[in-house]
Amino acid sequence: MSQILENPRGGCVLAGINSVLAAIDRVCPIFHSGPGCCMQTSAAEQGQSGHKSSCFVSSVSIPSSNMLEKEVVFGGLDKLRTTIQGSVDIIDADAYFVLTGCTAGIIGDDIASVTEEFQAKGVSVYPIDTPGFAGDSTLGYEVVWNTMIDKVIEENVPHDDKLVNIFGIVPYHDPFWSGSLEEIDRILSKLGLKVNTFFTKHQNIEDVRKCSGAALNIIINPWLFKGPAKKFEEKFGVPSIRIAGNPIGSTDTTDFVRKVADALNLDKALVDKVIAEEEDYVYSYLGQAIGVLSWKRFAVVADATNAIGITRYLANDYSFTPVLVVISEPVYREEDKQRIIERITNLEYARPPKVVFTADQFEINDTILSEEEDITLLIGSTNEKEVGLEKGIQFITAAFPMNERLVFNRTYTGYRGSLTFTEDLYDNL
Amino acid sequence: MAEKKYSGVRESKPGRLNDLGDNSKKIEEDFKKGCLKRADRSFSQGLQCQQINSMAALMSLEDAVFVSHSPQGCVGCTIMAVDMYRVGQAHRGIKNIKNPRIIVTNLDQKSVVFGGEQKLKQSVKKAVERYNPKLIFIFASCASGIIGDDIDAIAGELQEEYEDAIIVPIHCEGFKSKICASGFDAAFLSINKYILKGEKQPKEKGLVNLFAPTTVSYADQLEMERMLELIGVKVNYIPFYSSLEKIRQIPKAEASTSICKVFADEFMKTLWEDYEIPYSHTVMPIGIRNTDKWYRGIAKVLGKEKEVEEIIAKEHERIEPLVKKIRDRLEGKRVFICGGTGRSFAAAALIDDFGMKLVGLETPTYDDDAQVDIEYLNGIHKDFVVDIANMQPFEQVNLVNKLKPDAFIGIPEWTARFGIPTTHVLDGKRPTMGYDGLLYLGNKIADQLENPGFNKKLSKHVKLPYKESWYEEDAFKYIV
Repeated sequence: MSQILENPRGGCVLAGINSVLAAIDRVCPIFHSGPGCCMQTSAAEQGQSGHKSSCFVSSVSIPSSNMLEKEVVFGGLDKLRTTIQGSVDIIDADAYFVLTGCTAGIIGDDIASVTEEFQAKGVSVYPIDTPGFAGDSTLGYEVVWNTMIDKVIEENVPHDDKLVNIFGIVPYHDPFWSGSLEEIDRILSKLGLKVNTFFTKHQNIEDVRKCSGAALNIIINPWLFKGPAKKFEEKFGVPSIRIAGNPIGSTDTTDFVRKVADALNLDKALVDKVIAEEEDYVYSYLGQAIGVLSWKRFAVVADATNAIGITRYLANDYSFTPVLVVISEPVYREEDKQRIIERITNLEYARPPKVVFTADQFEINDTILSEEEDITLLIGSTNEKEVGLEKGIQFITAAFPMNERLVFNRTYTGYRGSLTFTEDLYDNL
Repeated sequence: MAEKKYSGVRESKPGRLNDLGDNSKKIEEDFKKGCLKRADRSFSQGLQCQQINSMAALMSLEDAVFVSHSPQGCVGCTIMAVDMYRVGQAHRGIKNIKNPRIIVTNLDQKSVVFGGEQKLKQSVKKAVERYNPKLIFIFASCASGIIGDDIDAIAGELQEEYEDAIIVPIHCEGFKSKICASGFDAAFLSINKYILKGEKQPKEKGLVNLFAPTTVSYADQLEMERMLELIGVKVNYIPFYSSLEKIRQIPKAEASTSICKVFADEFMKTLWEDYEIPYSHTVMPIGIRNTDKWYRGIAKVLGKEKEVEEIIAKEHERIEPLVKKIRDRLEGKRVFICGGTGRSFAAAALIDDFGMKLVGLETPTYDDDAQVDIEYLNGIHKDFVVDIANMQPFEQVNLVNKLKPDAFIGIPEWTARFGIPTTHVLDGKRPTMGYDGLLYLGNKIADQLENPGFNKKLSKHVKLPYKESWYEEDAFKYIV
């Protein structure tokens, strides 16, 4: 069930799977696909995410069976077999995942039959038979974790009541993923927790294998990871909490900290101390630049988690006026839509903005251009720069796809990230 | 003329090879004897597919909508052309920078079973309703090809319904070719079939078609136009940053030439056959020798041999003292080049201007054209390794690790982690071509060699993903 889309954000499910795996250290995807899929899928996600791509293999360094007419007609399993063998011989990976493109999916090549041959020889190689046409890249995030739960994560791992797993921040599909995970990790570590981000600090397949020993899964996203969370709890007994939106700024980050503390029954004195320190850190800076930013009436175009975070920070903590929020990723379940709307419109003092769901560029531009209320600040992806220029208003790139800035560890998430965000809003106009 | 019509698939040309690795002298001799055989790799890394090139070639056309009849992933690489389009507008002084209009039909499971015709029709309808464009391109994909959607027939039906836009289906299904440049040919075949339609037009004196791919910077466009204007040419710069009007000018031209060796080379042959437009197909104008050769080529077609010699002499007088300065910094340095068909050979000629020594060369395909270049290069450099590969960085890093060149010209990511100075010859945002581009490129290489600190320090911390044992193996062991 995919929609016709103008200037789509990100790639197919294969692109999502590839980029999530790319963020785990020393994991090698192997493509059983047409000749361009490695490059196309890497460009669709990593290539539009602040110019940072996997340090291990990405794009044309990914092994691929490059299915041509011959394989389309006669099947490509022989080619896949030699491709896996070559990968194992030359790529120094801890684990290999065989992914399928449309070509393999349509002709119905049975990739598991080949990966089993290698597994029998002791090679860590896992099949993910979800071809490109099966969905978009956010689905890819869930497909990867479903595969991990089914095939990779071990059972009977000793329980560690200080260990937590972070889900919902999607590598590359969120250009600030690295910095965001680092900020979440920093805050939770201060609470005495051990944090599996899976995608930073060189975490690797071994951390994935052992993550069933965690005390809690923390999903930082308003809708993603519903299925995998349920499956995770059923199979490994690890419960989860959902933080419905990227926490940006003191209010939402403190709320996030309290939710985690409640779920894990953490020492109240320590939690209060950490919150006090962090809020003091933020406000001692905000106190040094009062009235420096001009007042703005703003619109946001972003994926749901970031649209929520940005809107709530600017409205609740910075007293800007929210006018319009466009959720620019496909959201299918009605309950998810309601949760997203509730988070965006249930604000402390500010009046609720209009919320529109569309991932189509023409409709996004049209929504912004036809908004009758005054907008003086637009926060969106590189795709919205055009409409920002057309309206002649301040524009900030803060969402995927992001092409005009290089991003390493920058983030708007958490306590510290909110200061970076506020810095970026300064316009000297 | 019973000659079989060219399909757009580059492999269909006899004598064109894709996968081979050997010493340059041996390749030259074997090709001469007709002993080079088409091979394959039992292990390979990802390729660039032809659909990427078809889309990139056209993405900067005005008043056009680009419909990709594919799942969402197949427009991933458009970001490169989109970025070039946006930056190119900025370079051309445009303030309100636009996005190209790309609509993906988003083929899904249902389409795979029942066909994607309805989605394609709806997409074209949206294109018309939203933008009323002059041109609508429909790009095929692996998925649309395998499920058997007849995009020609659907386009024909849609054309009857929407008379104001020209609907151009392009057969760029990825699985049809291993050579990404086939995608250029597929695009031009359709431009001829659906826009030019073989209709001849009166010739316009001095008008020359200059074919440029997406990777040519605005600085390079200006330099090419400057050079051609010096010999009295009015340039029709296409299809990059052009329009339907400019495409329609094509048959009026007195001659054609291209900036890239594998861009519009087949199309220029077609223009000769269908519209009697003579053409010059030589080399990419990178470096003194190649720029001279390129310049003389088009001048000859126009009967301006005498004029061009005077200009070349003047340009040499201006440029040679400056090149000498760069040569003093680069003389004798050993270099490995990896840059795609046109650019690899052009870069190889360029390094001769600077007195550098070639130790290895990657090129995606090998054919008569490549043979001419190899003969020339074999005359200068004693012997060097040739890797005929569409990408395949694992082979090139193996070779670079063994050959230990002083410099690498190619994608920096592949060898920077060895600590070797790297320069990319494909910089679509800055100068590369013509007499002026040469200086920019030369200084870039020399400065990298002089100050390799970044790569040297990086190499101590960041490793390539290959096993140590791979570097001991024969680089070409997977070519079968």
